[in-house]
Amino acid sequence: MWKTFAYSISLILFLNCRLIQVQAQDTIPIPLKIKVGLEVSGPAIYYSDKNILNEEGYISVDLDEKYSAVFAAGYLNFKYSQYNYTYFNHGSFIRIGMDFNLLKPDKSQGKYWAGIGLRYGLSRFNSKVPSFQMTDYWGTTSSSLPPKTNWGHFLEACPGMRAEIFNHFSIGWSISIRMLLYTGTGKDLRPVYFPGFGDGTKTLAAGMNYYIVWNIPYKKINAILKKPVPEDTEDTEDNSDKSNSGTSGTKGNRQQGSIIRQ
Amino acid sequence: MRKFIPGSLLIILPGTIVLLLSCTQGSCFEETESFLKASFYDNATKTLIAPDSLTLYGLNNDSLIYNKTVSLQPALIPLNASTESCTFGIQINGVTDTIEFQYSSYPHLISKECGYTFYHQLDTLPKFTKHIIKDIYTSNKTVTNQNVENIRIFY
Repeated sequence: MWKTFAYSISLILFLNCRLIQVQAQDTIPIPLKIKVGLEVSGPAIYYSDKNILNEEGYISVDLDEKYSAVFAAGYLNFKYSQYNYTYFNHGSFIRIGMDFNLLKPDKSQGKYWAGIGLRYGLSRFNSKVPSFQMTDYWGTTSSSLPPKTNWGHFLEACPGMRAEIFNHFSIGWSISIRMLLYTGTGKDLRPVYFPGFGDGTKTLAAGMNYYIVWNIPYKKINAILKKPVPEDTEDTEDNSDKSNSGTSGTKGNRQQGSIIRQ
Repeated sequence: MRKFIPGSLLIILPGTIVLLLSCTQGSCFEETESFLKASFYDNATKTLIAPDSLTLYGLNNDSLIYNKTVSLQPALIPLNASTESCTFGIQINGVTDTIEFQYSSYPHLISKECGYTFYHQLDTLPKFTKHIIKDIYTSNKTVTNQNVENIRIFY
């Protein structure tokens, strides 16, 4: 009877302890935000090179401390000219996708972001080649391509970083690696450059974006901090007991060591 | 962490800006002309044999494409993108024939650096005189800047 009672008490205490442990799990308040970002390198590049104007921005909504839904949109006006051809392309694009914050909540604190974004991009552009020349055995042949509107599709991975430097304002950058899915132009007249993607003559394109972001907190959540799993204390104790019981001299040395460290 | 990220940004930002600024305009290293590639075969043995001497020129054009060139394989024949047919005089081992090609031309972007060229599509089988040429076989109707054989000339 006493054994059963003692066992029951032990079980209740054990369960209670586990419950307290779960309830006492560390959490950190993380503000979820709506972020409005403006890409700043496009206008900066346009300042030095009037042939390319790329303006883009994005809105992202934090779904939790790790995931954000992103919608980006932009506009491109591109002119390119060299000795044998002139090319114009202008149009707009959208990108939709997700951002994944790889920082733990205690590190990110809702202010820092280091992670990767994945996007699908859709671009509508109008391109034309007012003139191009080709010189061969028969002489110089000149021609042109009339304006044509096309739709381009691509995928994008964009690892990067953002940091809140002032209250509600962040800066950051991301590297964009884009894979062309379809240009709608056919394989012979791929776009030299098109909105949202870049060099359309290649299947892969890379770019760099710099952002200024306005953060608007809309909700607070308590993010659970995952602690490293503690070692099994019973095993450790068992092992130490075994080692202690096996070599009593070692125990003495340990004690001496701890005394020396103190 | 607060110190970590701005510090990293300070280090990485200038680096990437330098990287961006260092991007220079590329050069064109690709073949920009689309030649019809003609291989020469011995009609008796059907084996690939280059002529001892080959002279090639376009009719209505004063300049020669090849002038008594020895052991040429394949011959690169330039089609005129401004017209829909082209006739060439071809002298193989001192005997002259003519070959006429009928085709349609269309523009093709090689690359941003190289610009545009014309590709051609052979519409009909080549017409030719038979002084030394016995037969012409069309192996690929699309004439591009790639190194792909278009016709086989049996002589």
